Amino acid sequence: MNTVARSERWSGYALLTVMAVVVVIPFLSVFLASLQPAGTPVVGLTWPDRWSWSNYETAWSVAGFSDLIRHSLVIALGVVPACLVLAALAGYALGTMRLPGGNAVAAFFVAGLTIPVELIVVPLYFDLRGLGLTNSYLGVILVEIALFLPFGVFWMRTHFRSTPMSLVEAARIDGASSATILVRILLPLARPSLMTLGLLVFMWSWNQFLLVLVLIQDTTKHTAPAGLGFFVGQNSTDIPTLAAGTIIVMLPVLILFVVFQRSFIAGLLQGAMKG
Amino acid sequence: MGSSPPVPGRQAADRRVRGRRARGRSPWRGYVYVLPAFAVYFAFAVLPALHTAYLSLFEWDGVTLGDWVGLGNYAEILQDPVLRRSVFNALVLVVFFSFVPIVLGLLSTGLLARYRRPGMGAYRFLFMLPQVVPLVAVGVTWRWLYGDDGVVNQVFRAVGLDGVTRAWLGDFGAALIAVGLVGTWVLSGLCMMLFLSGVQKVDPSLYEAARIDGAGPIREFVSVTLPHLRGELAVAMTVTTVAALASFDIVYVTTNGGPGEQTTVPGLLVYRLAFSEGKVGLAAALAVVLGCLILGIVYLINRLSRSQT
Amino acid sequence: MRDSTHRVRRRVAAAVCAVALVLPLAACEALTPGSATAVPGPTSVPSSTAVPDGDVTLRLQFADAPLMVDALIAAFEEKHPGIEVEPQYKTFSDYVQNLKLTMTSDTAPDIAQYAVGMTDLAADGHVLDLAPYREAYGWDEAVPPVSLDQLTAGRTSEATGGRALFGVPAGLSMTGIYYNRELARRAGIDSPPRTLAEFEEQLAAAKEADLTPLGVGALDSGGLHLWAALLNQLMPTDEYWDWVNGRKGATMENPAAVEASELMVEWGRKGYYSESANGTAQVDSTARFAEGDSVFLINGNWAAGQLAAVMGDGVGFFPMPGERAGSPTVASGFSVSYAVSSLTEHPEAAGVFLDFLTSPEAGQIIGDNGFLPPNPDAVGKPAGVLADIARGHRRAVADDGITTFPDFAAPAMLDRLRSGVQKLIADRIGPAEYLDSLQDEWEDHHGK
Repeated sequence: MNTVARSERWSGYALLTVMAVVVVIPFLSVFLASLQPAGTPVVGLTWPDRWSWSNYETAWSVAGFSDLIRHSLVIALGVVPACLVLAALAGYALGTMRLPGGNAVAAFFVAGLTIPVELIVVPLYFDLRGLGLTNSYLGVILVEIALFLPFGVFWMRTHFRSTPMSLVEAARIDGASSATILVRILLPLARPSLMTLGLLVFMWSWNQFLLVLVLIQDTTKHTAPAGLGFFVGQNSTDIPTLAAGTIIVMLPVLILFVVFQRSFIAGLLQGAMKG
Repeated sequence: MGSSPPVPGRQAADRRVRGRRARGRSPWRGYVYVLPAFAVYFAFAVLPALHTAYLSLFEWDGVTLGDWVGLGNYAEILQDPVLRRSVFNALVLVVFFSFVPIVLGLLSTGLLARYRRPGMGAYRFLFMLPQVVPLVAVGVTWRWLYGDDGVVNQVFRAVGLDGVTRAWLGDFGAALIAVGLVGTWVLSGLCMMLFLSGVQKVDPSLYEAARIDGAGPIREFVSVTLPHLRGELAVAMTVTTVAALASFDIVYVTTNGGPGEQTTVPGLLVYRLAFSEGKVGLAAALAVVLGCLILGIVYLINRLSRSQT
Repeated sequence: MRDSTHRVRRRVAAAVCAVALVLPLAACEALTPGSATAVPGPTSVPSSTAVPDGDVTLRLQFADAPLMVDALIAAFEEKHPGIEVEPQYKTFSDYVQNLKLTMTSDTAPDIAQYAVGMTDLAADGHVLDLAPYREAYGWDEAVPPVSLDQLTAGRTSEATGGRALFGVPAGLSMTGIYYNRELARRAGIDSPPRTLAEFEEQLAAAKEADLTPLGVGALDSGGLHLWAALLNQLMPTDEYWDWVNGRKGATMENPAAVEASELMVEWGRKGYYSESANGTAQVDSTARFAEGDSVFLINGNWAAGQLAAVMGDGVGFFPMPGERAGSPTVASGFSVSYAVSSLTEHPEAAGVFLDFLTSPEAGQIIGDNGFLPPNPDAVGKPAGVLADIARGHRRAVADDGITTFPDFAAPAMLDRLRSGVQKLIADRIGPAEYLDSLQDEWEDHHGK
């Protein structure tokens, strides 16, 4: 029985390892391609003869990825704080107070988790154009906040529900207002949850493509993914530069992922579970 | 609303008001906190969704005055082979985005469920990697991997299968599968990690008990592991199915719907119809169909997973 | 008590639902899509050639030949220091997909490359009629009138009463067949074909010699260029024009189109196309051809600069030959032209820029970048493959055989053509079904 168990266990690891290799190869392949001399045809996985980092310079300055990254950051930095504040406020009320109809409102938010961008993008373009919010980061930021709020509210509501009510009750008896309770007592405790939510929202905002493609027609204002999608059509033959551009676009989220691995993975798994 | 309740309810109403005063504050006041989030969510997500439904009843080119056509656009979706095909393709993608990753996830979980799993941290990091990078970057990467000189063909050549090499994304038989496998690549890790973390909650004594009963690995999986993963399964199905049905980014950068209509998905058509072909109403109708399809499937999954608990 | 909270809850839920439903309904009046009113503002440019005072910035959005545009702008700004031109480049498919959106938005660029959909935009008044400039600047002397007459959108000018004008050409384009001299020799081919039948024999000879006969980049528009090139030889040119211009009663379901489509299928069956044609973009097919991947390549003159740079004298070009040796030279081609948005605040400055495009100086830049300058006499004689193209183009112009691309027939036609041709290449559709899908789209846009 022991040998059966052991072989079973090893086959489990073997499967994981095969999968891990499959996951890594595309990343490795792009990375190696980005180090080949610019303009050369690249075949599959090839170790570069000499490492030429110049493709990154080309992509960064000539192909304009520095601007793209900046635009993406502007949007993400607008979306993340607003989303955190709004989600924390709503989650606080829906999670700790007995609001009449609170459950229905919470359910109404949760229903928003199923809204795909495709469902809203068509009228959004025409409506926001009427308001002068196309080709503007503000328009994209507002829509992204709206898109990520269902998850944010739900996430924060779940968090606040799990904090011990005794803390809140005690403060209430001391005469603290609901705002004081939130700011002084609950928010400091919520820092890890807020942190995870912030990371997820940043990632979603960074990766958003269709919305930007439609709402920002001015190519000089494109974000990183939109710019990359656009760069492909233009330079699909110059694989090394394209690969460098791809890496640059992935890099910010990758760095965050490496640094905040725990929060990220917890967020992605628990977030999915709770949602 | 607003009018006073009928006389028979009067007493109850009084009691309610008194109860409220007794607690000092109106329970409605808490909505002050909810309002900002609700307003943004309503104005920029809910209202546009309703507006889409409204636009779907018009034939409109995006510029001149629209014509009311009722459900005409929906009838066209049923008739038009390209539109129908896109919905079919999305359902095929569900197999690759949802079914295959879940099977892979369950398989690895089944093999590893009963053991302590040292070294999982590294695996977890790798498997979540495709989850965090932009899908556009994923698409660009795979577009190249599937190309004539890409890694996929390189692998086939290395094992002597020169005959099967081709530009996969341009092949009528292979393109949709190739796009689907990109989804498999992105989502398998998530499913695997979901199940493996879910299985940690299982009480080890249950496995021991099963083993004492003489259960083999398969029966053990079916009778112990699987029932505990019901929640995770529902989640994995929901997330992956939505990803499949609403796919846009990957298709847009890899095949743009070709060859022919082999990889055309509803998201791509919504974009094209509305913004380059001047058929805004039809695009809206297709978006509504897509939204309803997603909502229906999500509802069904959650209903099924709950009714069994 | 429990009962009553329950009721309250239910009532609140009802209220929320009611708000959700009533708000948009109340807003319905305002939400009726579109507007019946015409676009305000002028529909044509003033007829003066005055150069504006003070600093002006023109935004130029375009999709073809970024190097050429950069060079043109640099030369222009040197001549007119008061006018700055800000280029905004988009890939062709992005550009075409978004053209309508872009030009109807408040932030429309001042100048935009003429492309599919401009006809509709011209009809709706979103681009300016340039006919007054045509007279004021004397463009008819600077460029062959025929290249301006492609840009009338089939309308008359309200300002001059003559033909309208919605764009000014910078470079002209034409599609045709490139050949690799070295590979052709190896297949026993010693001169460009004089008839379509001869071309087919050459393809067969290339296949026989174990070479890939014809490179096609059908992932985007390479396939439809091939189909159009065949169609040009088989279908009467004026019938083709009627169809592209949306004339009532025109149809693509005719024997000539069936024949052209059948030919495409047949060449696929015989293995004439590069193996991964449907998965290869035009730029990639060009790069592969330059590497010696195929004997022939279908593409436009816009690829000439790149091919000449890599292959030198090793590459030649000919327009798709006709049915008989004496048949007129007919090729699809269009100009890289620029239109002016009706929202521009600087129509005079735009006029100055457009006029610059017709100058000999601009013609030289255009020619150097592999395009055909609208006025060929203004520039030095090209050499090599560029000379082949110039010769072919001159023949086609003389035969009145430059036709626009078939995707100009309707905004959605590009997608129908691209996917349809991909199916023809892969032998997945019959000619009748393919043409039926094109005609359906045509009728959808133009009516029966």
